[in-house]
Amino acid sequence: MRQRKRQISRDKQSELEMTPMIDVVFLLLIFFVVTIQPLDVIALLDVSRPSPDPDAPPPPERIDDMLTISIYADAITLNERRYSRAGLERMLIRMARLSTTQTVLIKCAPDSSHRTLIEVLDLCAKAGLTNLSVLSL
Amino acid sequence: MPRRKNFSTEVDINMTPMIDVVFQLIIFFIVTLQLDRDMLNERIQLAESPHGPAQEKREPRTIIIEIDHRGRISIGSAQFTPRQLQGLLRVTVERHGSRVPILIRADGDASHEDVRRVMDACTSVGLWRMQFAAIKEYAG
Repeated sequence: MRQRKRQISRDKQSELEMTPMIDVVFLLLIFFVVTIQPLDVIALLDVSRPSPDPDAPPPPERIDDMLTISIYADAITLNERRYSRAGLERMLIRMARLSTTQTVLIKCAPDSSHRTLIEVLDLCAKAGLTNLSVLSL
Repeated sequence: MPRRKNFSTEVDINMTPMIDVVFQLIIFFIVTLQLDRDMLNERIQLAESPHGPAQEKREPRTIIIEIDHRGRISIGSAQFTPRQLQGLLRVTVERHGSRVPILIRADGDASHEDVRRVMDACTSVGLWRMQFAAIKEYAG
């Protein structure tokens, strides 16, 4: 009897019991697969803000290689001319062909939505313009 | 007989403690990753920017300022008034210099007025450069 008991215990030690471990691993796997939500890919749009004081005099207007985009609640203008999104995109790509480091000044009206600003920044990123400044009107 | 027994215990290694420890480590890392993500306000619907440069490895010092669709400002789920935010940023700049990266996660429906308050708070303490977060690509 003693002999047999020792035999069994040695058998148990020599081979690892895998079934419960696999059960637990599968449960954990299923748990994480169900609970994890994949992350969206985030884009980061770099801007600078030239003037700390919104009431300070605006930077000199119309330096030759400077684009001024104004964003209003219902319209976007480039150098004082109104454009649609597609028109603005075409113009920005044309401008970017001359230089991608020219300053782009983006002025936003207080009642414009942040989404419009992001759209304009996106168009600038698409055209390859990198020197973006955001001002508030 | 004792000799044989000794021999047999030396041959088979007991795997159970190692597996236990490995599981503990895996669970620890998964839970802490999750914590990092929970710091962001999930109700903010970012605007889309399919052409913007994708986020690379985030600088650990980045201050993430969130603005929801009603213009409320928060950092890591703590709400701030523009004045409080300015005070906080001023202390940060005094301690760490003005090279602290600022990331603004603003809801697409927020008005520029609200975003402007945050930008003004940043520039008033000398932080000129900032980044806007937008969604480049939805997952799944």
